[in-house]
Amino acid sequence: MGVYTLPRSQLHLFLAVLSKRSPVYVPVKRDAIRFEPYNGTIDFSDNAYFPIKEHFFRKRETILRFDGQKLITVRPTSSKKIFFGVRRCDLTALKHQDSIFQKQYKDPWYKAQRANTILIGYHCATPPNKYCFCDGMGLEEYQDLMFYEQKTQFLVEVTSVKGAALIKKYRRFFKKANKRITDADKHIKTRKLRKRDFNAIYDHHAWTAGVNKCLSCTACTAMCPTCYCYELHDELDTLKHGTRCRIWSSCQVKAFTRIAGNHVFREQREHRFKHRIYHQIQYFREQHGFDLCTGCGRCIAACPTRIDWVSIANKIT
Amino acid sequence: MTKLKVGFYGITGCAGCQLSVIFQEDDLLDLLELVEIRAWPFIKDVNDDETFDYVFMEGLVATNEDKERLLKIRKNTKILIALGACAHTGCVPAYRHFTLQKNYAHLLYEKNKNISDVQPSPIDSFVQVDYVIPGCPPSKQEIRTFLKTVVLGNIPKSYDNPVCTECKLHNNGCLLEVKKPCLGPITRGGCNAICINGGLECWGCRGPTDDANLPVMVTILRKQGHGLKFIKDRLVTFAGTKMPAVRKLVYDKNNKA
Ligand code: SF4
Ligand code: SF4
Ligand code: SF4
Ligand code: SF4
Repeated sequence: MGVYTLPRSQLHLFLAVLSKRSPVYVPVKRDAIRFEPYNGTIDFSDNAYFPIKEHFFRKRETILRFDGQKLITVRPTSSKKIFFGVRRCDLTALKHQDSIFQKQYKDPWYKAQRANTILIGYHCATPPNKYCFCDGMGLEEYQDLMFYEQKTQFLVEVTSVKGAALIKKYRRFFKKANKRITDADKHIKTRKLRKRDFNAIYDHHAWTAGVNKCLSCTACTAMCPTCYCYELHDELDTLKHGTRCRIWSSCQVKAFTRIAGNHVFREQREHRFKHRIYHQIQYFREQHGFDLCTGCGRCIAACPTRIDWVSIANKIT
Repeated sequence: MTKLKVGFYGITGCAGCQLSVIFQEDDLLDLLELVEIRAWPFIKDVNDDETFDYVFMEGLVATNEDKERLLKIRKNTKILIALGACAHTGCVPAYRHFTLQKNYAHLLYEKNKNISDVQPSPIDSFVQVDYVIPGCPPSKQEIRTFLKTVVLGNIPKSYDNPVCTECKLHNNGCLLEVKKPCLGPITRGGCNAICINGGLECWGCRGPTDDANLPVMVTILRKQGHGLKFIKDRLVTFAGTKMPAVRKLVYDKNNKA
């Protein structure tokens, strides 16, 4: 669909002009890197600490309100958003979330947030940190435009009709390039997760080192761009008013499997720790034919004790 | 429907937890209508402490009078709720378990010979506690939800995810990454990560989660460069009595954590 160039010096002007139409979320460094509406700065020094997931599968979604005896359904509202600088692990993760919230289930709240989004990718030239292991995790193209960073310019690949329309509208910034994006442009080298039937190594003693360092703090699942679990809560504002909310949940805590009679299916930390990893790289594949995990490495980078489960798994012979 | 007979009591404490009940602002009158307040010495002159369905007990046992009152109330109520950190963990007053090994009551209370001092301890050291509403102070919302739940005849749910869960829901970066000694990973949440939202690390006022990984928490703090004394102080300030392993971890000189 065509390749264009944008001089690096023009990037900020382009983003500023683009922001006039609707908010453009870019990675910004504060206490951590997160996607926020463009405000003059942008940070590619590392992968974003917070993935873009929270903008679609939101942390807290109000499903209904109650006011005395009255139930009021909350209709999801939707607004136009552009995301710039999304790396491929997160684009693929979004595709996986779409397959859950839009294909397998029709989730109106997700759909409302997801509608009207334009995704502009950023192709890593080198791994942003040492925890990445996306190589071999089956990353896919799922963006409207893809930016490849070069010394003095960006190569901009048009990958969808929406992307083409965007270029057309802001054509003055872009020059048509006489080039095709090749496999060499796309290639980046990260470490790899050794794929195999993980069921066969569930009981391997090598996992113990990881289990013992785990705090069951839920940072890994919260920061994971693919984790999609939630729970429903009724919250009282006053005695008569309140809301039913859906809130992110995590398989790392006992509450996740607690049922009537206070029975917990995964009482031991070991089983919770392994469940996350196994759901990401084994169970999900058994059900859906592809791995849920995209190899972004956030569950290691955000872990207070940096439990490198990929190294553990790779070492098991 | 007969109303639940409820009592609110305070033994040694700052009364802040009872204030959390009173400060339900717009809701207080509605709340009080749902139940029959048999006793609330803090705000009521006439109190009947004979039969209760639910008693909310604030404070810890620090005197013999506290103990007697607690034992008596326990006998007279079907359900006893530890309201707030003092009742739940002993909070700051129970710090004495970890510092003064001798009793200095004779110096502190030289002029008041009537003070009968006991080692300050949470109420579950003396009686069976049915529910805990943790926190210093407990959250107003939690108190409200608890009351409404029992009035409806349901079993209250306690929140036992760590503070980190709610911290992430509030969009915070992790304070451990900037070397602040945050106890969030081992502390029971439900507070909406209010301290971290305000930039302060978690001090553990709601007590440890039931599977707090204490050795790993200590390792994290040591890697941040904190000494054992600092770590001990932090861990025991609000909930030392609920972490029996602390003693071993922080007093054992050979500890390699
Ligand atoms: S499991 Fe870890 S590496 Fe895989 S997508 Fe989630 S955060 Fe990224
Ligand atoms: S890893 Fe855990 S929290 Fe994440 S999607 Fe799977 S079950 Fe849910
Ligand atoms: S982030 Fe690390 S310590 Fe926390 S639950 Fe996940 S694996 Fe365990
Ligand atoms: S700041 Fe504290 S509570 Fe928040 S995620 Fe980090 S350790 Fe947990």
